[in-house]
Amino acid sequence: MTAQPDLSAPLPPQRTAPAVGKLVVPCLIGALVALTLGIYGRLHNPTGVAVNIAGFSSPGSVKSWLATGATVFAIVQVISALVMYGKVPRVTAPNWIGGLHRWSGRIAFLLAVPVAVHCLYALGFQHYSTRVLIHSLAGCAFFGAFTVKMLILPKKGLPGWVLPVVGAVVFTVLVVVWFTSAYWFFSTFGIKR
Amino acid sequence: MRRNTPLITLLTGAALGIVLLIASMLSTPSKAPAGYSAAATPSPASSAAPQPSPASATATPSPASPSATAPAVVTAPAKADYAGRVQGDGASIAISIHDGRAIAYVCNGSSIEAWYKGTAVNGVLIMTGKNHAHLSAIYDFGKVTGDVLAHGTDYSFAVGVVNQPSGLYQATALVRGATIKAGWIVLPNNTKVGALEPDADSPAPSATRAPDLDVATGTAQDGDVVLHATLVSGATGSGF
Repeated sequence: MTAQPDLSAPLPPQRTAPAVGKLVVPCLIGALVALTLGIYGRLHNPTGVAVNIAGFSSPGSVKSWLATGATVFAIVQVISALVMYGKVPRVTAPNWIGGLHRWSGRIAFLLAVPVAVHCLYALGFQHYSTRVLIHSLAGCAFFGAFTVKMLILPKKGLPGWVLPVVGAVVFTVLVVVWFTSAYWFFSTFGIKR
Repeated sequence: MRRNTPLITLLTGAALGIVLLIASMLSTPSKAPAGYSAAATPSPASSAAPQPSPASATATPSPASPSATAPAVVTAPAKADYAGRVQGDGASIAISIHDGRAIAYVCNGSSIEAWYKGTAVNGVLIMTGKNHAHLSAIYDFGKVTGDVLAHGTDYSFAVGVVNQPSGLYQATALVRGATIKAGWIVLPNNTKVGALEPDADSPAPSATRAPDLDVATGTAQDGDVVLHATLVSGATGSGF
């Protein structure tokens, strides 16, 4: 059972309305997650320090590599989603593509969590430059958007565009987060461990 | 079963985040003037300390282990002076840190220069200056690494500790109603990089090349005015 709409029989409006209504609660929870992270990051006094991973030259490089890893897995997400939806010409979805999509997503998410903890605990929500402000906003928004995606995934009867749109939002926000942090870090300090 | 896996993913991530947060909280209070602990510097203590690794991210790291086995490593000094050239050699920078406060100066020897003030806490330096100038960096006992915006120009830097007479010098004087302010960065090889703001009270002061500084006497001759420079020293607190 997929969430794709039945194109041969147009849905009557009274069937789509409650389906879209199913998005309200996940979106509210996602917004709450993003707001909670942002408010915590703003109110908590940044310590400049958090648990970290040995073997790297600085917390910045640890986070940059983890974020880059998450972004690479997120690219796998986009490609596998395109294959699943049959959007890649002359490629039929192999039966393992769903597993690839789920596991790349889980890994990307779990790679991003330690980065976010370090950001929020050690550095906080900051706005002293445009890059930092965009990064702070997008970082909070990412976890909100990801929460929405996870909460609506099991819901049945959603319009077919919902998951691709939410997935695209999650991916786009993650790329913004990466671009304003890891890309900046590597281009400023060089690609180093 | 299948329906719940996204929720499990979400809850696993949340649990991981909470565990890391608790671990961070447990590892922080034990250090008073601490810096970036653990991986901040490749000191033997920190590299030997077991830390939650991304590979074991799905396995729950013990919240007690980081605080128990990785005692706080103080990696950021309370008093320090740094100076050197920025990456690309376009300018020089000097930063002095004294008990949580910091003063910095970036200068290319002529028109691009800016003064910064800010805070230095736990190895993190956040400073601002006039005309949207700002500086962010991390510092430890050996060096300070970061980036700085001066006159719309972005510089990256990684410069080391310096000792007197190298460092940052500043001179101000009231001449014909205007405050002139000069700054010199004296590098370890005795190169002097300085600029002079003829109207330092302006919200966006312009600058020209500074007259030569005699480090021994701390004076510089600007036309008919003798400027008396003071060393901005984080080590002694002079100039703060």
